[in-house]
Amino acid sequence: MAAVRTTGEVLRHRLAVVSLVVILFVMLAPILWITATAFKPRNLATTVPPTVFFTPEVSPFVKLMVKRSQLREKPTEEQLAAAPWWERLVLEGGEKVVRSGKGAVQPSGYPSRFLNSLIVATVSTVLAVSMGTITAYGFSRFKVKGEDDWLFFILSTRMLPPVVVAIPMFLMYRAVGLNDTHLGLIILYTAFNLSFSVWLMKGFIDEIPKEYEDAALVDGYTRMQAFFKIVLPEAATGIAATAVFCFITAWNEYAFALIMTNKRAQTAPPFIPSQIGSGLPDWTVIAAGTVLFLLPVAIFTFLLRNHLLRGMSFGAIRK
Amino acid sequence: MSPRIELERVNKHFGPVHVINDVNLTVQEREFVVFLGQSGCGKTTTLRAIAGLETIDSGAIRIAGRAVQDTRPEERDIAFVFQSFALYPHLTVYENMAFPLRATRTPRDEVDRTVRRVAEVLQTSHLLKRRPSALSGGDLQRVAIGRALVRQPKAMLMDEPIGSLDAKLREEMRVELKRLHVEQGSTTIYVTHDQIEAMALADRIVVMHAGVLQQVGSPEEVYANPVNLFVAQFVGSPVMNVAEVSVTGQDGAARVTVAGAAEGFVFPAALIDRLSVAGAADKPLSLGIRPEALEITLAPQDGAIPVEAHLIEPLGSHDIVDLKMGPGFLRARTRAGLVPGPGTQVWVRADAGRAHFFDSGSGQSLGVRL
Ligand SMILES: Nc1ncnc2c1ncn2[C@@H]1O[C@H](COP(=O)(O)OP(=O)(O)OP(=O)(O)O)[C@@H](O)[C@H]1O
Ligand SMILES: [Mg+2]
Repeated sequence: MAAVRTTGEVLRHRLAVVSLVVILFVMLAPILWITATAFKPRNLATTVPPTVFFTPEVSPFVKLMVKRSQLREKPTEEQLAAAPWWERLVLEGGEKVVRSGKGAVQPSGYPSRFLNSLIVATVSTVLAVSMGTITAYGFSRFKVKGEDDWLFFILSTRMLPPVVVAIPMFLMYRAVGLNDTHLGLIILYTAFNLSFSVWLMKGFIDEIPKEYEDAALVDGYTRMQAFFKIVLPEAATGIAATAVFCFITAWNEYAFALIMTNKRAQTAPPFIPSQIGSGLPDWTVIAAGTVLFLLPVAIFTFLLRNHLLRGMSFGAIRK
Repeated sequence: MSPRIELERVNKHFGPVHVINDVNLTVQEREFVVFLGQSGCGKTTTLRAIAGLETIDSGAIRIAGRAVQDTRPEERDIAFVFQSFALYPHLTVYENMAFPLRATRTPRDEVDRTVRRVAEVLQTSHLLKRRPSALSGGDLQRVAIGRALVRQPKAMLMDEPIGSLDAKLREEMRVELKRLHVEQGSTTIYVTHDQIEAMALADRIVVMHAGVLQQVGSPEEVYANPVNLFVAQFVGSPVMNVAEVSVTGQDGAARVTVAGAAEGFVFPAALIDRLSVAGAADKPLSLGIRPEALEITLAPQDGAIPVEAHLIEPLGSHDIVDLKMGPGFLRARTRAGLVPGPGTQVWVRADAGRAHFFDSGSGQSLGVRL
């Protein structure tokens, strides 16, 4: 950055900052809205005009996690006194927590859906990125016959809109028993992300000078060792970026999850809106589910931010 | 024991390009051989082939008597300093230097001792904790050499390791490399396109051109007896003068006249006999003469011919003067300030003992010396 600035530059700089702030606010508004709703009392969730100031509550989150049923009459004083704090929040909302015969609290459908999302997105990301990296390495470092055709073929798997193949996929899955299984979704998302991962990683690996591996080879390492000790660390930035993209795609995927799963392996995206239909919609609970759903991607991206931001241009190769 | 490295009829093509053309070469134990050639002549490829980083189409490569052309690089026990250094950016200098040792599962304390000792030798001890991105060109080069040295390699291959440094640093590094070689005594093949570097470092110079070895010999030999026009003009600075000449007998002496010039240099009469013995009597001839073999005087003298000085390049210790001769120029080396300025009339005499004659057609030296 230039140390000396003219007045015009300063002005332009300030304008840029102001417009960025405005854009940022516009972009973040939905997230602010949904987060606020997740902490609102139920009666303030849908007021017109929207309530901006309110006392935040955690009851939507409690309700999100446990199985509830409507109370016919108001909870009694003893009931309230006997209940732990979180159960009291549910009771005050005119609902009761469903317990099993032995008195154990029954969870709602959300925690298992959330866990499914985590499992499916994580495993498919790991698979897509690792397979993509190895494939990209092969394309980048070795002469592959018909390399361009292969790469085009790999990319072409992404050219069809996914919805088009949803029905055939569904029939196939039903035939082989992959319907509503984690494995089924993992295979689907891995396949879906793989082409993307190969292409992205090829770009990154092409950037790593071949001499690094050559140096390792003459220093007594095998190609496999050179790959793990040199190429992988050098490609960390690319792997992080690819992983974030794959994770986001798998985490947010809706159409296939809706069609292929209904209970055991259902992920959060099709589950959250399905709650709207059951009984009177409690928007605060839906908002709470959405807010929690946003967190993993945010955390994941945050953890990898250094890799994502670090430029590729810090090598010690003279060109 | 440092190994001998032998190349026997090695060939390599990159598509239609014949990058290594039937190369035969034996590098003796502990010898320092320099590959000298223009950019793109196949120096790097040859070095990579010896290291096993490049396959060869035909021929044999032997290291310490063992044929290695089909073995993998890690089995050849050779250290390589890359043209680009190839230091790993994600590792510190220390880890970069320790990297080759870790391949052989060297005990930790021995790795530490070796790295520190080599760092000491190369004066990079203070850099060990840094990353390559925080080093200057000279430091990068030292570390790259350090990484090659830690294994105490039997053979070292260096690809223009100091090519990117500035002139002063290069000179320092040259001395250091020479000293290292004397101390370590590893068989070394060193690639450069800088002929001064080659002259300074080499036990023997290998001049390459378009994948073909032109001449192999000691620096003195390559300088004094170039086998062809390419070597003659590639080795030596300023470049050797080469001009088409005709040789005639006159007054009991030979006259060597540059095509288009009024008067010819006076050579001993024996030249004519020797040229005809060499079978060059009626072939087009080229005279090759280094600038320092042309003697310039301001006054007429015996056997000197008058010419006009054209441009003068003052280089401090001496001047290089362009002399108008026929359609072109000959460059001569003179004492600093001898010729006062352009346009001066001077007299020039060629040192017959340092003249070379080439067959203009094939470019080969005729081997005629006086
Ligand atoms: N991997 C490759 N594929 C195709 N051609 C190549 C390859 N590597 C080198 N070449 C060609 O082979 C020839 C010799 O290259 P090489 O790198 O050996 O030259 P060099 O003498 O080391 O040159 P420099 O002084 O520029 O480093 C060049 O014409 C180059 O373009
Ligand atoms: Mg080279």
